[in-house]
Amino acid sequence: MIEPREKLRPLVLWGGLAGALGLALAIAGILLDPTRGLYSYLTGYVFWLGLALGALAWLQALHASKARWSVVFRRLLEASASALVPLALLFLPIALGLGHLFPWMHRDLAAEADPNRRLAFRHAYLNAPFFLARAAFYLVLWAAAAELLLRWSTRQDSIGGPDLTRRQRALSGGFLPVLGLTGTWAAFDWVMSLRPDWHSTTFGFYFLSGALVGSMAAIILAVWSAEQAGLFPEPLRATHYHNLGKLLFAFVCFWAYIAFTQFLLIWIANLPEELPWILLRTQGGWAFVGVLLMLGHFALPFLVLLSRDFKRKPAALGAMAAWILVVHYADSYWLVMPRLYPGAPQPRWTDLAALVGIGGLCLAFAAIRLGGHATVPVGDPYLDESLRYERS
Amino acid sequence: MSVRAFVLGEFASSRAALEALRVLEAKGWRDLDLHSPFPVEGSEELLGLAPSKIPIAVLCGGLFGAGFGYVLQWFCNAFDYPLVVGGRPPNAAPAFVPITFEVGILFASLAAFFGLWLATQLPRLHHPVFEAPGFESATVDAFWIVIGGEPEKLDRRQAERDLAELGARRVETVEGEP
Repeated sequence: MIEPREKLRPLVLWGGLAGALGLALAIAGILLDPTRGLYSYLTGYVFWLGLALGALAWLQALHASKARWSVVFRRLLEASASALVPLALLFLPIALGLGHLFPWMHRDLAAEADPNRRLAFRHAYLNAPFFLARAAFYLVLWAAAAELLLRWSTRQDSIGGPDLTRRQRALSGGFLPVLGLTGTWAAFDWVMSLRPDWHSTTFGFYFLSGALVGSMAAIILAVWSAEQAGLFPEPLRATHYHNLGKLLFAFVCFWAYIAFTQFLLIWIANLPEELPWILLRTQGGWAFVGVLLMLGHFALPFLVLLSRDFKRKPAALGAMAAWILVVHYADSYWLVMPRLYPGAPQPRWTDLAALVGIGGLCLAFAAIRLGGHATVPVGDPYLDESLRYERS
Repeated sequence: MSVRAFVLGEFASSRAALEALRVLEAKGWRDLDLHSPFPVEGSEELLGLAPSKIPIAVLCGGLFGAGFGYVLQWFCNAFDYPLVVGGRPPNAAPAFVPITFEVGILFASLAAFFGLWLATQLPRLHHPVFEAPGFESATVDAFWIVIGGEPEKLDRRQAERDLAELGARRVETVEGEP
């Protein structure tokens, strides 16, 4: 039917080139100034990991809810989630640079500034071997789940039948709680422990809800560009975009709810061990980013996505999705960077290098995984139903 | 309101009713209506119904409620009787957000509830079409198409014939003040 490899070649080529170049520059940045370079790298990594992890979560949620309308673009989700494989390898710079990133690596230094011995107590959990073992555990688990779902789905292309659909649903339903827990722990480990004396039980949810918003925006863009490129057997209906827009809208609200909950509890309790994290991010030069998140990551998308007609227009919805990706990167930046620059954000070329490097490689890899076979799950018994999806 | 005439046809399935609506529309009948046990997809376009005004009512209700909720808290806590609670400033915007949100939701749902009453003229208890024998089936398993018009202008015979031709298993004519 369609020759997908041909159409995806530019993405593989340019994504791979930009990715290789960006990664080389990011690594050069790390070698020149390890701490600054690694903070840039971690920001980019957290952003792209969230998108890939979110794609896996959406794929599994759609399987677990036995969704049929989404079958037509499911392969895009599977390919996006398979970027968790290169992301597992791309964790290497972080693993090698733990000492430059995480204050808890320095026990002596920590003990000095730790009169209540809180950090010393946390050392039982926050230490290099255990941290790396946990990271390996999460990454292998996620990559394996994404890989299995893609393989079962592509095997169904040739043999068809409902058995493989059932198997994908079973794995997805069972894995979702695991994904929730490991995603929470990863957010605790990789982002929250940048400030080891601070903790928020909502933080994992904050990261995951943001990842779900960002990845839904990325999915909308992917679906729209795939339709432009003619990767679907027939054009999608307005109802497909309407549904994607509704999910984006719902999770913009969910993110705002989680973000506000975290903020309000810290603000209202006013405790000296919790408050500095918020103060750092809402005062001085970072206040601007905080306001940008409030207005750009919530208020604007909320008001615009209220409209039914807006969600049914692919170009309009795509523009909103692109904007959400921009502010979602600002969110990752706002989580990671203030510890390094307490006064105000100081962007540097390494930020861009890491963003493009990690992202380019992930996109190229996902495009390769998408191009190796049919770009829609042709063996899925619900494909026809999905193509004819009319209900809104 | 003045007296109006209605010709009603009962159809067995939503598909038959939709098809009948399409044909009646093409034949030039206006002032069509459909009474069905559940919303029939596609009937809204055929009946030429204007987009619902409920969303606007809900938005206005929500915005009013949110504003009211905030002003209420500000008036109580910061203006009329300033009170320090937990070391917070009197006009503690973050602490006011949950109540602002909840009152906004409350008024939005009240606007939806009573907006629907207004839109459907709900408290009314009677309409002439209820007098058609067997019309109760519209709330159980049948789909009634209604052709309305002025008693003098409505060509009842033609309407009855068209409905019967389209497969209505029952055709009734009533007159009354809606």
